[in-house]
Amino acid sequence: MTFKQIVRGIEALALVAALVFVVLLFANDGGGGEAAPASGGAQLYSANCAGCHGVDGGGGLGPALAGEVTTAFPDIEDQITLVSEGRGSMPAFGGDLSEEQLRQLVEYTRTDLGS
Amino acid sequence: MAAPAVESPRLSTNTKLLGVLLAGAAASVLLGVYADSHTPSGEKPYTLFFSDTIQLKAWFATAAVILAVVQVLLAMRIYGKLDWPKKVPPWLGDAHRLTGTVAFLVSLPVAYHCLWALGFQSGTTRVLIHSVVGCIFYGAFVTKVLSVRMHNLPNWVLPVIGGLVFAALVVIFLTSSLWFFTSSDAPRPIF
Repeated sequence: MTFKQIVRGIEALALVAALVFVVLLFANDGGGGEAAPASGGAQLYSANCAGCHGVDGGGGLGPALAGEVTTAFPDIEDQITLVSEGRGSMPAFGGDLSEEQLRQLVEYTRTDLGS
Repeated sequence: MAAPAVESPRLSTNTKLLGVLLAGAAASVLLGVYADSHTPSGEKPYTLFFSDTIQLKAWFATAAVILAVVQVLLAMRIYGKLDWPKKVPPWLGDAHRLTGTVAFLVSLPVAYHCLWALGFQSGTTRVLIHSVVGCIFYGAFVTKVLSVRMHNLPNWVLPVIGGLVFAALVVIFLTSSLWFFTSSDAPRPIF
């Protein structure tokens, strides 16, 4: 088998992989077009946090929040500070969200998230 | 008696160029629409031998960028912008295609997790740039692959589109892997 044939084979594999990629995206689509969450805190969570912490707060790239944050942050102000200033790989949202939005978001994670 | 050959209508250069550009734009828009409308799963579907999906993504994206740098260097030799090696080996073109193909393959698990688990996000400037350029990258890649197979396109098309693909990949890397490697306070296990 020549180098050219190997390259052509890998190109064919890439084409198949691209097709599988598209099929999997739609086959595993768990519900696009769902109604937006009603509350402001839920909307803020969906837009800013759900990607890493999971739609239901069960964790993903970031740690689980639902049922956990009140233990980790007994004082809500500590949690607001973390969300505002960030820590480690957790980005800071203080520049993007107002103080009121930060509080709405944090209150949502402490009361309604995952329920 | 053989039937007379039917000459297929030839598309003009501009029509071909418009076609490949529209195909790429459509791919970018479709990915963006999917990422925005799909409800992110937030799941971590695979880790391979890495300690976490994000480690896998960061290192796969790094591998894709390294392969892309090699591909650009090979392209520069093919186009005569580099003088080394003195004699162009006959396999150089195939090596150029191979590095690009493998870079694309390596990028797919990364993009799949971004689209399926995270979706289009705009929480911070970095994330917004990453989301937008991620969609642009695959559109530019589609245009590049189609351009390679089209004949009679203007000479500037391939280098320009190839440059766009490379630039987009570098931006994606800077706004994800490099950010990940440099933003952590604590050392992160790789495997």
